[in-house]
Amino acid sequence: MKRAIWLMLVLLICVSPFLAAREKIVVYTYDSFVSWGPAAALKEAFFKKYDCDVEYVTAGGGKATLSRLIAERNVGETNADLFMAELNDVPRIAKYDLFLPVTSDDIPNLASVPANLLATGLSGFVPYEYGYITLTYDAQAFVTQSPPATLEDLADPAYAGELICEDPRTSSTGFSFLLWTIAHFGEDKYLDFWRSIHNSLLTITQGWSEAWSLLTHNEAPLMVSFSTDTAYAAMSGDPLRYRAYAPGGEGYRTVYGIGVVKGTHNAKLAKEFIDLLLSKQIQELIPKTEVMFPVNTNATLPQAFKRYAIVPQTVLSIPLDVVGKKMAQWLHAWETVIIQP
Amino acid sequence: MAACLGDGDHTTVTRGWYLALLALFGLLALVFYYPLALVLSMAFKGPNGWSFSAIESVITDPYYVHLILFTVKQAAYSTLLSLGIGLVGAYILARYNFPGKRTIRSLTVIPFVLPAIVVALGFILFFGNSGYLNRTLMSLFGLPHPPFRILYSLVGIVLAHAFYNAPIVMRVVGASWEGLDPSIDEAAQSLGVGRWRRFIGITLPRLMPAILSSSALVFVFTFLSFPIVLTLGGARYATIEVGIYTLVRTLLDYNHGAALILVEIVISLSFTYLYLRTEGRMAIVTQGSRRMPQRALFALPVDAGKVLIALYALLMGVFFLGPIVSIIIDSLHSAQSWGIANYAQLVSQRYSPFLGTSPLATVRTSLIIGSLATLASLLVGMTIAFFVVRAKIIGRWAIEAALMAPLAVSSVAIGFALLRGLSGPPLRLGGTLVAIIIAHAVLIYPFVVRVLRPILEGLDVQLVEAARSLGSSRLHAFLDIELPLLRRGLLVAAVFAFALSMGEMSATIILIRPGLSTIPIAVYGLLSARQFGAASAMAVVLIAVTAIAFISIDRLGGRRLNA
Repeated sequence: MKRAIWLMLVLLICVSPFLAAREKIVVYTYDSFVSWGPAAALKEAFFKKYDCDVEYVTAGGGKATLSRLIAERNVGETNADLFMAELNDVPRIAKYDLFLPVTSDDIPNLASVPANLLATGLSGFVPYEYGYITLTYDAQAFVTQSPPATLEDLADPAYAGELICEDPRTSSTGFSFLLWTIAHFGEDKYLDFWRSIHNSLLTITQGWSEAWSLLTHNEAPLMVSFSTDTAYAAMSGDPLRYRAYAPGGEGYRTVYGIGVVKGTHNAKLAKEFIDLLLSKQIQELIPKTEVMFPVNTNATLPQAFKRYAIVPQTVLSIPLDVVGKKMAQWLHAWETVIIQP
Repeated sequence: MAACLGDGDHTTVTRGWYLALLALFGLLALVFYYPLALVLSMAFKGPNGWSFSAIESVITDPYYVHLILFTVKQAAYSTLLSLGIGLVGAYILARYNFPGKRTIRSLTVIPFVLPAIVVALGFILFFGNSGYLNRTLMSLFGLPHPPFRILYSLVGIVLAHAFYNAPIVMRVVGASWEGLDPSIDEAAQSLGVGRWRRFIGITLPRLMPAILSSSALVFVFTFLSFPIVLTLGGARYATIEVGIYTLVRTLLDYNHGAALILVEIVISLSFTYLYLRTEGRMAIVTQGSRRMPQRALFALPVDAGKVLIALYALLMGVFFLGPIVSIIIDSLHSAQSWGIANYAQLVSQRYSPFLGTSPLATVRTSLIIGSLATLASLLVGMTIAFFVVRAKIIGRWAIEAALMAPLAVSSVAIGFALLRGLSGPPLRLGGTLVAIIIAHAVLIYPFVVRVLRPILEGLDVQLVEAARSLGSSRLHAFLDIELPLLRRGLLVAAVFAFALSMGEMSATIILIRPGLSTIPIAVYGLLSARQFGAASAMAVVLIAVTAIAFISIDRLGGRRLNA
């Protein structure tokens, strides 16, 4: 008798009902867009306007999600309708021809985006926000001492075990930082820089969220992050504990975009989703939630964002075609140096 | 099952055995040999067809060579530390008597119950720069900086591995030590041979098989360890497993990934072979009828030895309990207040974006996978165990090795093999629930065989023969005699199988597709987003579910387990 009850219980747990499906689009994105970004507001607005549900899927950082998408596409089994990524990952996407082309007929709000931002070099990939990779420090930990003034200063033994950065193989932020060091030190010197900061690193995380949580859990006081971090604290009314700064006045340009995945059955809805993302309404949420600069020129910026979001004096960037050609080589050289100082 | 038992005399080869073997190999071909061969064949391919370039670069390129050397290095250090901690524990278990000894011995199964991802979480919470240990020491001694900065390095990885594996050494060596015949030792003592010389010359050689066997086991475990290295090591302290994961999951460089798998299999096969050999030899060591005399630990006089033991117990208490207690404390703590808020949020939809599904659905998925994988691995494992013990067949050794092959293949490699092998024809399963269940079953059944084998070997064959001579059919003899005698072994195997499946993350994370998640994957997802409170709550759920499984199976069996 007792056995029968135990077995029944196991069966009951296993055979629980499944929810009925309704119309929805699936957006492959990165974890911070969901945990910080306008994801929820966007989903709600989209549901109101088009009576269609939005499902966000993340595999961690943007690169991890991208790999998942490519792997799924290779075996022909993805249910992604839209994909969001950082621009420097575009060379990887280009090889796989993932996106449907879009025009301003499909997406009227494209008219409000400056042409230089739209010129990504890849049809179908639409930028929706941009910003700068810089460093962020914990002001409570740097009271007597100041944070490193330049990238070169990061090698100072005074900062031993204090820097968290992201893995360029798995994180878009980490990849932008790697590109920054290449742009700054040159192709023949950047590896020396990485060797020199070995002792300054606490750890190299898989993604930005992991690194941010380590910073805010006091595991280390310095990380590779965005130039808008101070603005974030200011907008949330927090004391300005975690502050962004551009070492040596430098920063690396980062652009996030979205594309309609080829093979989708919901191309029209997917394009309408992009249009909504570019609308003034959602674009004004970008600085507040993603804490990035909106691409729509009609969007008004919050006062605190205007005041604290840093635009570095020198913005570095490496042309995408060069990134595409050298990416694999740079990453392999980096991983070789990073595991054997 | 009945097929494997065959007709007629069970000690000779019958048509039944051949049929059973054929069925087994057919099944394994589909879910293991073919997928693995498919993946390994990728190691011999380059951008322009067949090529040795991937293998060549894996064994000559500084990055891969360092990856391989670091994997061996951390496994060697982890094995040494586990031995150090475990041998002292084994000595105490063998030579002293104290209340709670049985409980302590039962607690050494913890490595099988605690999934690696939970151990990693416990370590971050307890040994982290702002973990409980550092915070306590800083406030006690007014230190401005955390005294222990050990976690995100080789030291952190080795410590976590010792946490996991020292109990294995303690258990295996302790049992052997306790069973040693004291006569020789006493004879030497009466001849005036000193304590240390007696230990080095008499005790140690007789313990050697147990020490070697447990070392080889620990080495293979830590060599193939994945979640702990991934979580604590970051990009700088990466092993072959982490390298394979990065290659196949993020960089999509399957050729180098496959070449790395090949190298890993060759190394782990060598050590698995060493383990199986020393284990076989260990059985030959004869045990005396008398046992080592044991001293009462909690009795006067208190000597230096007992003081050292107390110190050891204190250190081990902090080392083993610290991380586990940290998880429980953290799960009850959120936003400066105490309570069950973290658990309540697991029921809400707040974390769904990180997991791609709701936390409750995650628990359900884990239970489905766990139950079915347990069932499948029991069926396959029991068939193989019967074959290994009963069948007399030419080349049995080779067949046995082929059947136990998954033991030498890492979880990440099996996950990758099934990802590739099951996506195309003949089975189109992709990253479905079925694929994950298959992966778990393949990973787990060798452990089922290892649990059942010694019990089957001890089973009295004459009982079955007597029943047969009295007219009982082979099937009835199995159902009425062998199965009841095997029940305890099957229950123990089922508990281990279920616990292993509940905690499996490495193969699952490679296979699983968005929208599906298991408890360990959820813990990892929350951990990556450093949602510590929620991750802890999820980890406590995992521990609780596994514990309930232990108790349920215990109840179903109607008698206490003494694994």
